[in-house]
Amino acid sequence: MSGFAGDAPLDLAATWIAAAVTLVVLAYLFGERRLFRHAQHLLAGLATGYLVVIAMREVLVPRLIEPLATDPGGNVLLWAAAALVMALAAARWLPRSVVALPVAVLIAGTAAFALGGAVAGTLLPQLAASVLPADAPLIDLANGVLAMVITALVLVSFLHGIPRGRLVGGAAGVGRLLVLGGIGGWLGFLIVSRLVLLVDRLSFLINDWLRVSG
Amino acid sequence: MARPGWAPIGIALLLLSLAAAVLLRPAEDGLLQLANPRGERVAEVEQLFDSLPTDRALVLVGMDPDLGTYPEIRPATRAAFDDLLRRGARLAFVSYSAEGRAIAAAEMRRLLDDGALPGAVLDLGFVSGSEAGMVRSVTEILPSAAEGPLSEAIRAGGGGMTAFSLGVVVGGTEMNARSWVEQVGTRVPELPLLAIGPTFLQPELQPYLRSGQLAGLLATARDDAGYVAAVVDADPRVGPSVLEQPPSAAALLIGMLLALVVILVSLLRRTPDSGVAATDR
Repeated sequence: MSGFAGDAPLDLAATWIAAAVTLVVLAYLFGERRLFRHAQHLLAGLATGYLVVIAMREVLVPRLIEPLATDPGGNVLLWAAAALVMALAAARWLPRSVVALPVAVLIAGTAAFALGGAVAGTLLPQLAASVLPADAPLIDLANGVLAMVITALVLVSFLHGIPRGRLVGGAAGVGRLLVLGGIGGWLGFLIVSRLVLLVDRLSFLINDWLRVSG
Repeated sequence: MARPGWAPIGIALLLLSLAAAVLLRPAEDGLLQLANPRGERVAEVEQLFDSLPTDRALVLVGMDPDLGTYPEIRPATRAAFDDLLRRGARLAFVSYSAEGRAIAAAEMRRLLDDGALPGAVLDLGFVSGSEAGMVRSVTEILPSAAEGPLSEAIRAGGGGMTAFSLGVVVGGTEMNARSWVEQVGTRVPELPLLAIGPTFLQPELQPYLRSGQLAGLLATARDDAGYVAAVVDADPRVGPSVLEQPPSAAALLIGMLLALVVILVSLLRRTPDSGVAATDR
């Protein structure tokens, strides 16, 4: 049992609706595409509606509108935030130069946090962790050398637009195979995840909906 | 796009029925086992939980799985919540993605329905702004209207993430432990992080475990199954009524056969000249 729905009438209705939509989606496997498309539209509509509710209930009202209504002079920055939100909401009717400001703030802020985090939280610590002490076990040294060789070959495979000799061309070919191997390995992980979803859906139909084993 | 022929449909139906039949068997039949016999990851998680303060430790749960991958990690996630509550810890849930917020709300309701003390679970809500919101939470995570003993404990600890003894990050494709390591780990290095994620995130998260930026990681079906088994073994009273069983290994195997049939059918339907599937033209 997924444990999300109980025995209350609303829970039972939710389980029946979920089971019906699950069957419609599984029907795609057997060539039924019309109902599947309706299920896709339903998902898109519900997701959009849910996002609107979340934005209003948990962000805009408690963190912007209410503070401005109760204490208009308390936080001047909130007025600037409100102006940016309104500019984005009315982007269709405003000049491009006006809309560019909130979009620039949004993109620049996101990029700055992502880049700063990637350098300080991933690149530098991972570089530090890959440096081995002189007395490291032989297996760790071998692993480190192997990782260095693979990294170099993969980087060489991305060299485009410059003349390459036989040696560099061969290394690039091996690098490309390594990239394909890496993608294949990752797809293997992905397919295990997706199979668990299939099993979970079957389990939902049997246990939560039909209650055959429970 | 033409409909597939009856033979592949028949094989797919047969395999789906077989997977369903396997799911009808009792879980303890032991047809195939997923549990990891090595249990390294499980031991790390248990060690991490053992190191928590014994007097009602504060644990921050970053709940950002997505609907498409949560079923895979649901058993391990629920086992971790149950394990922590049994050890007397208090859980505060925060989400940085809309999907994560929906799942967090459902899980909190389930925990309270299952008998978790109301004072042991706190809803910190949804924080907008993705990674920027996460950075703001480092110093200010408590909603202004939050009340109760758990809120007071967080306020007494500074009102930010420094108030917590452990961060449990339940991640998905949009927000996962990488964001936490990059944004929170660099600002609150004393907060140990345990990551629970779907199998395909394992290659991405494993290096953080090796570098010590993650204190624990459960990111494969085997490790998850091993951890759920360890939690049930530790307290037999906690069983399938509270914990969800991991997915059936036999059903997974049949699912793999189904995937192979689909791939083979797709390959056989490719025309030799164009390489485009006949059904796609």
